[in-house]
Amino acid sequence: MKILLVCSGGMSSAMVVKALVNEGKKEGLEIISKAVGTGDFETELKNGWDGALVAPQIRHKIDEFKGIGEENNTPVQVIETKGYSPLGGKFLLAQVKEMLK
Amino acid sequence: MEKFYAIIENVFMKPMTKLAEQRHLKAVRDGMVSTIPLTIVGSFFLIIAFPPVPAAWKESMDIFLWISKNIGDILIPFRITMGLVAIYATYNIGYSLAKNYKLDGVSGGTLSLVAYFMTIIPSIATSNTGEGLGFVLPMSKLGGAGLFVGIVMAISAVEVLRFFKTKGITIKMPEGVPDSVARSFEALFPTVAVVFVTWLLFIMFKFDIHNLFNSIFNPLKGIVDTPIGAVVMVMLITLLWTAGIHGVSVIGAMARPIWLEMLTANADAMQAGDKVLPYITPEPFFQWFIWIGGSGGTLGLVFLLLFARSKYLKDLGKATILPAIFNINEPIIFGLPIMLNPFFTIPFVLGPVLATIVSYIVMTLNLVSRPAILAPWTFPAPIGAYLATGGDLRAVALCIFNIVLMAVVYYPFMKAYDKKMSAQELEEGLEEV
Repeated sequence: MKILLVCSGGMSSAMVVKALVNEGKKEGLEIISKAVGTGDFETELKNGWDGALVAPQIRHKIDEFKGIGEENNTPVQVIETKGYSPLGGKFLLAQVKEMLK
Repeated sequence: MEKFYAIIENVFMKPMTKLAEQRHLKAVRDGMVSTIPLTIVGSFFLIIAFPPVPAAWKESMDIFLWISKNIGDILIPFRITMGLVAIYATYNIGYSLAKNYKLDGVSGGTLSLVAYFMTIIPSIATSNTGEGLGFVLPMSKLGGAGLFVGIVMAISAVEVLRFFKTKGITIKMPEGVPDSVARSFEALFPTVAVVFVTWLLFIMFKFDIHNLFNSIFNPLKGIVDTPIGAVVMVMLITLLWTAGIHGVSVIGAMARPIWLEMLTANADAMQAGDKVLPYITPEPFFQWFIWIGGSGGTLGLVFLLLFARSKYLKDLGKATILPAIFNINEPIIFGLPIMLNPFFTIPFVLGPVLATIVSYIVMTLNLVSRPAILAPWTFPAPIGAYLATGGDLRAVALCIFNIVLMAVVYYPFMKAYDKKMSAQELEEGLEEV
């Protein structure tokens, strides 16, 4: 599955991307994931993603991102706080599965 | 404590984030952010022109002698980037705002530039050698000092564009005309309106908008550049982060134009050879002396975590020490967590406030140089502090002092939290057996 992550500058979410991909490997899932900054979100989402996750520190922009998601038929959610850390891969993967159900 | 967080969330965070996401402010922020690479590259030429090396080297080594002989040429990239920053910002703000209204971005940016240039009266100039240069626009109004005029002109121009579009006052091209051609005709009426009104206002009626804005914004810069202004800035940003919101991104939407204006003023003073720069608190002040390891100055805290008794805290420390060195601390804010955690709200606000006061005093007394250079925010803080001050080793000392200071503030709170976490882990461990 392809999951796009977005945070303010694409820096901190890049770490979380790694945690998510590793967690997927543990369960034998192949996850393709990428981190972008807010400015690149709209362009990148057009390239075809199964779902997009928004970093909690920019959750005040969720309405804007959800709008972009709807235009592209992609579900968009805010990452739950405990999933947003290098040790939070387990929580994040659970959230991804729930979102794509 | 829960009441406190409810107040932060409802009274403070919601209105602030709403304001930051307001259409025009958002366009201003996006436009300003897109000038950052230019400012970084431009200010590095300042470092090359004024290399941070001992004076004796400058008088003896060939490379530094060459630099001082060619300083005018070396500074050209600085003048073209930072010296013209209002042009780039104005175009980008107009572009972003037009995009936000789902109008043509290029038309919005171009119209913004026209409106902005109309506020500056060209004059005839001659070069140093007496050669005629024809009409020139004075660069003094195209850099940081012209920023606020640029912002207002960009917003006004795009609003005019939108007005014509929504009222349907436009030249319709027959089908089959290429899109780009049709678009340029669509922009014709708004362009006429913008050029005519600005011409009347700024040229015929001689309304000096630059002068007016200086008299409004100079006092504002004065207020922002006081110890109280700096402390308030730090408190706003850290309080937003305790609610888990990217504080700099929200506050920066409003503060960034002022930060950039102060920075360009400092850079100008530096290249003019001034020993003491006019402003203390452009953005690098916060970046390198307060937000060491990320907002809240958490680098010291991460070091403390490495020695925690709790396994989770220790693992978290190991996993986040490298990002912390490069000023990325979201993993700590959400992983520790600091967000909505009564153990850490006090040191997360108090540590940076103390560091701000110390740094401000030290720079007021000119014991450490004031920042004039923008280095990428992912540099380790001591290196960033060194570069930002044009190569002042005392800035490195101040940066390290602040790391220790903030670690000391975190220490008792971190100890208490560690105790609670390790007790919890012990309990869970027993249950597992």
